[in-house]
Amino acid sequence: MTAFDASVEMRPRLVGQRIKRTEDPRLLTGSGRYVDDMAPQGLLHVAVLRSDQPHARIRSIDVGEAFAVPGVVAIFDAGDIAGDFKPAIPTSRMKGYYATPFRPLAEGKVRYVGEPVVAVVAESRYAAEDALELISIDYEPLPVAVSKDDAAMDDAPLLHDEAGTNVIISRTFARGDVDAAIAAAAVVVKGRFRMTRKTPMPMETRSYLAEWDRRRQALTLHSSTNIPGIICDVLGSCLDLPGNRVRVVAPDVGGSFGGKGSLNHEEMLVCVLARKLERPVKFVADRMEDLTAMSQAFDETIEAELAVDADGRLLGLRADVIGDIGAYSIYPWTGALEPVQVVSFLPGPYRMEHYRGRVRGVLTPKPPTGPYRGVGRPSSTFAMERLMDMAARKLGMDPSEIRRRNLVTAEEFPYRTGSGIIWDRSAFQECLQGVCELVDYPALLRQRDAARAEGRWVGIGLASYAELTGIGSRIAVAPGMPINTGTETASIRIDATGAVTAAFGISSHGQGLETTLAQVVADELGCRMEDIEIQHGDSALVPMGTGTYASRSAVLGGGAATKTARVVKAKVLKAAAFLMDVPVDDLEAEGGIIRARSSNATMTFREVAHAVYAQMGRIPHEQREDLVGSESYDPYLGTACASTHLAMVEVDPATFAVTVKRFAVAEDCGRIINPLIVDGQVHGAVAQGIGAALLEEVVHDEGGQLLTASLADYLVPIASTMPEIEILHVEADLPNNIGGFRGMGEGGTIGAPAAIANAVSDALAPLGIEVDTLPVTPDRLFRLVQAARGSARL
Amino acid sequence: MKPARFDYVRAESIAHAVEALAGAGGDGKVLAGGQSLMPMMNFRLVKPSVLVDINRIPDLDRITQEAGVLRLGALVRHRMTAEDGLVARHIPVLHAAMKHVAHLTVRNRGTFCGSVCHADPAAEMPMMTLLLDGTIHIASPRGDRTMAARDFLVGSLSTALEPDEMVVAVDLAIPEDGTGWAFEEFSRRHGDYALAAIAVLMARADGRMRNVRIAMMGIADTALRFADVEAALEGREGTPAAFDEAAALLQAAIQPNSDLNASADYRRHLAGALARRALAEAWQRTGETTGGAA
Ligand SMILES: Cc1cc2nc3c(=O)[nH]c(=O)nc-3n(C[C@H](O)[C@H](O)[C@H](O)COP(=O)(O)OP(=O)(O)OC[C@H]3O[C@@H](n4cnc5c(N)ncnc54)[C@H](O)[C@@H]3O)c2cc1C
Repeated sequence: MTAFDASVEMRPRLVGQRIKRTEDPRLLTGSGRYVDDMAPQGLLHVAVLRSDQPHARIRSIDVGEAFAVPGVVAIFDAGDIAGDFKPAIPTSRMKGYYATPFRPLAEGKVRYVGEPVVAVVAESRYAAEDALELISIDYEPLPVAVSKDDAAMDDAPLLHDEAGTNVIISRTFARGDVDAAIAAAAVVVKGRFRMTRKTPMPMETRSYLAEWDRRRQALTLHSSTNIPGIICDVLGSCLDLPGNRVRVVAPDVGGSFGGKGSLNHEEMLVCVLARKLERPVKFVADRMEDLTAMSQAFDETIEAELAVDADGRLLGLRADVIGDIGAYSIYPWTGALEPVQVVSFLPGPYRMEHYRGRVRGVLTPKPPTGPYRGVGRPSSTFAMERLMDMAARKLGMDPSEIRRRNLVTAEEFPYRTGSGIIWDRSAFQECLQGVCELVDYPALLRQRDAARAEGRWVGIGLASYAELTGIGSRIAVAPGMPINTGTETASIRIDATGAVTAAFGISSHGQGLETTLAQVVADELGCRMEDIEIQHGDSALVPMGTGTYASRSAVLGGGAATKTARVVKAKVLKAAAFLMDVPVDDLEAEGGIIRARSSNATMTFREVAHAVYAQMGRIPHEQREDLVGSESYDPYLGTACASTHLAMVEVDPATFAVTVKRFAVAEDCGRIINPLIVDGQVHGAVAQGIGAALLEEVVHDEGGQLLTASLADYLVPIASTMPEIEILHVEADLPNNIGGFRGMGEGGTIGAPAAIANAVSDALAPLGIEVDTLPVTPDRLFRLVQAARGSARL
Repeated sequence: MKPARFDYVRAESIAHAVEALAGAGGDGKVLAGGQSLMPMMNFRLVKPSVLVDINRIPDLDRITQEAGVLRLGALVRHRMTAEDGLVARHIPVLHAAMKHVAHLTVRNRGTFCGSVCHADPAAEMPMMTLLLDGTIHIASPRGDRTMAARDFLVGSLSTALEPDEMVVAVDLAIPEDGTGWAFEEFSRRHGDYALAAIAVLMARADGRMRNVRIAMMGIADTALRFADVEAALEGREGTPAAFDEAAALLQAAIQPNSDLNASADYRRHLAGALARRALAEAWQRTGETTGGAA
């Protein structure tokens, strides 16, 4: 483990400042470059005919007159490309797991509505879509079990016969004797909580452009991915190409939220077709295709029971989770990513001895679930934080007090949870206290009680959680997954003009990493921010970089940047020392100027670089070194990131609309590189969390058909949904990694759903209503209130 | 999500437009703001052979006051209706309703007449046209005709318009002076199509309700007026009891659908809740009748 490096702390200059994002001028003036902006000569467009069946055997495909449509170049089904690739296999070391093979087009049978079956390649997307209308597929419908509960039954129809079961993931985490703890407890609360299916909904839809270079026999994929390195590796093995002949470039990417963080059918497809046709091939999903076939999120039912003693101390938690993972186990994370994390994070940020969490991941005829901002934790936090409030209510204790009594305290770190997660020091208690002070909690309670006395439905909800971010090589991001997500590499060079180019394996797609990493590099190197170009999102930049996901890029990218900048700086100073004829330790660098403390003599980076590269013999050959460096960083463990959210809501008794009146976040993300960007990440993630709590739900009917196939039916939060978000940054002890950063890109989605569920439950406490399903829509509330009033009348 | 092939005609005049429609042999479509038509074409739910663009026809973008009515030309955008001084002064209930229509970019393009022609059961414009006893002005190669809104609006996405006809304007009756009004709507997010909405107009004479008009939407296949309920309120005092009774009558009269956003039961509940609010509000806004339309 790396000890905290105090030398970083001594020279704070750019790190910590509210610097405007350097990527914004190009993005806001329309000078960004997305995959859809690229149109190489000879470009062909793909449109995809998708399954309208949830589960069926493909009997035959009739292309009819499709080839007669002007502009149509080629039409492919799975049989036509069978020899052109190997399927991607999302392997895992998990026991009893079955890795569903992942292909560009459905082979033999279809397993969800929206699965790609036929690809039409044409000179324009219009022509390709005209041709789609003329193709018909003859299906033999197969029996389906659409809901996860039905699909998990022993006699359920099998989606993948080879698996022998639909339950391809099954795990249990346990510590202590939870049954005994529950049996003996003073208070036990339980619930059956449902976090419904969501879709990530980035502004830019999935977009892929593959180019085959006949001369080099090499493939370049431009992809709206956030994991270019992983995609590059898997394409290399699926297409049997060495790494120096596959390159995956993510240009400007308009968001992902997880939806672009796995391998996609169409992403493989364009590569296979570009090589086959020896022409550039592009696929840009339309909104309906993203709604039907992008990887989706959550979809769990959590049955959980919490035992506490008479003083409100947590004794034990017993949970049974069933996750609907859709039709395929996603590459590379596997279908375990989401549901297994629910049971590993369920014990929350609390001290609790006894735990047993069982989880099953079930194949169903729906799009695969995959990573989604927050992964697992929005669901686990929703269930656990609801139980905390239910227990507090039973005990007559304030929700803040029961949390205060159970949150792990500073003296207890490192604390191992019942599921085996180790919490290192982070501001667990301080965030709770901080958010309560920020909103003047006692005054807020009085405000609520006054409103309640007028018959208004006003409620307050808290949610405390902790997450693991910036995870190193000790812990797999997804359980049992054989991909190294624990390291990142930076490669920095100074050229003859003194300009600094810093290249990374991460892949910023909205996080502002070009700004934050430049801040880190500038501070470490002593150069000016404007002299730095940050390169990322390109598998050719560094030998291995997996991308940006799991709140890792500031920690791992920032750590690699720091290590590398130090190496390069040492070379700059060594050259300068020779040129200025002073000892190296007499030199310091800042703002692009190297200064000798003793004499005040200076040289610029540019002058040093020019002397090193352009002036032959100026530095003796045995001392001369290129001003370059490349180092990788592995934080080994992950770092905990704690937070407490508070929501105040009002429910309209006539319409059952929920209005979020106040929302406050206290969070500990360690040393803040750029508060402006941190605030933006919190705002965006809280908006997403409010969407999950109040609006967003992917609905499939009993026949497996998608009902929410447009943005008129899948509701995302809009400006008028959003309250002001108050943020308190709590900087407790810094974590044990280079730079002292914690990951903070996801947290808002974790706390907000739970806080709002608790606030709505509090608002309806006079009726005894406990929210157990999200989103809590007006229609759901109407039914809850009706039921409560009905039973009250009995 | 690309439309099927179509021909495009930019109409220079109303006559040119209806001629082009007639030439399309029943398969032409008027393109006004495109805010409903273009999505439907992109989904390939409609595939017109000819698109007749009326956006360059002069003088259709006017709101004028005629005898007892405001006339909205075929190119009056939602934004104009929402911000127009005549509308705000003479038909404040319409001014209030327009705040609920979509979002800025949609309001900048979408037209009042286009919405009436589209006849979405959850759109404000057809409902307000019904409430305000609207008259539809129609042109065709066979000449001009007018039609009452209640005859024009046939059902969900369906009107009495012939394929070679175009709507050139809609007249909305200006309520008499002192008319109380209310518009209540509920949607999941601001600017979404309504789950339910109600608009009420009523006059007051001798402390009693007169000339009550009620229109609702989101509660059936089309926006509706409720003659029976209107009659039941005529001459009653504006008391909470009367409003509760009327709300119950409305709830009994409607047959809402269940869909993704709302079950029929919830919609019925919502209709009652909005009705109680709107009736009380309209009553509150009534002034004793001074006589005569403005
Ligand atoms: C995101 C979004 C949100 C929306 N929210 C709402 C909302 O909250 N409330 C609401 O009421 N509406 C809403 N709309 C719909 C909007 O109001 C449309 O503008 C309106 O329904 C159609 O008017 P248009 O001028 O755009 O007509 P177009 O889309 O151009 O045409 C619609 C139909 O009417 C026909 N048509 C148009 N004009 C004429 C004419 N003069 N004569 C004969 N036929 C004609 C067309 O041929 C077509 O069949 C929304 C739309 C969008 C995209």
